[in-house]
Amino acid sequence: MPDQSHVGRRYSAPGQRIAPESAAQMAAAIAGPDPVAEPGAVPPTFAAVYLLSPTFAQLFGDAEVGIDLAGLIHAEQSFEWPEPVHPGDIVDSTTEITAVDAKRGMTFVRLAMEAARSADRTVVCRGTALMIVRSAA
Amino acid sequence: MTALELSGVAIGDAITPLTRTVTQAQINAYADASGDANPIHLDPAFAVSVGLPGTIAHGMLELGILAEAISVWAGGSANVASLSCRFSKPLRAGDTITCTGTVVSVDEAERVATLEVGASSDRGDRVLTNGRATVRLSR
Repeated sequence: MPDQSHVGRRYSAPGQRIAPESAAQMAAAIAGPDPVAEPGAVPPTFAAVYLLSPTFAQLFGDAEVGIDLAGLIHAEQSFEWPEPVHPGDIVDSTTEITAVDAKRGMTFVRLAMEAARSADRTVVCRGTALMIVRSAA
Repeated sequence: MTALELSGVAIGDAITPLTRTVTQAQINAYADASGDANPIHLDPAFAVSVGLPGTIAHGMLELGILAEAISVWAGGSANVASLSCRFSKPLRAGDTITCTGTVVSVDEAERVATLEVGASSDRGDRVLTNGRATVRLSR
């Protein structure tokens, strides 16, 4: 179970390519039965792919932190996009554990994440998330 | 697509609500697109075993639909500067989500509009709450 000793752990996923075909696949998945609203654009929440997925995979795989996926709730999410993300961009992504608090049998894990273009270090996405881990039992 | 003009945006303006029924097929497609294959989204028996009523949509899929609604209003996703929300209630497979937003402030110096945004389901649940978005405007 995560605890305060894990605050400050960072998970880095450099060299994430904004693949046009992956962005199009996500746009289609968001559109579902409807036509894609903005063909060729990178959906803002494509951050799930270039930022959350590769860094969260490391967090969830960190046996010392020991997050149980079966009891995990993604409770809050915020994003800022200081600059638009373009197809073909390559970004370096990181997620850091910024706080861990235990209350009422639940553990609240706060995360901060950032993606910057590898070429010029321009931040294209910055975010925070709150994950709630319910205790087994 | 071009950004909205500052002079054309006022407090109280509302985005066009976006309503979409989120089927299990769409959730499966989102799992493939996002790489998030948590069985609470894909396997009804597993979802029930952890206390859910059935499979639920990824919160990030709901946020993606909300971002689409804001992007259309904003004249393109490149004009969406920020978006945040709380995933308050799960959206079950087969439920219909409706995303809304209203301008609550306009910063003329920074040329940014701030919107309160959110989403509800056809069950009457407020699925996305405490939502805020900022949108870049043009002169």
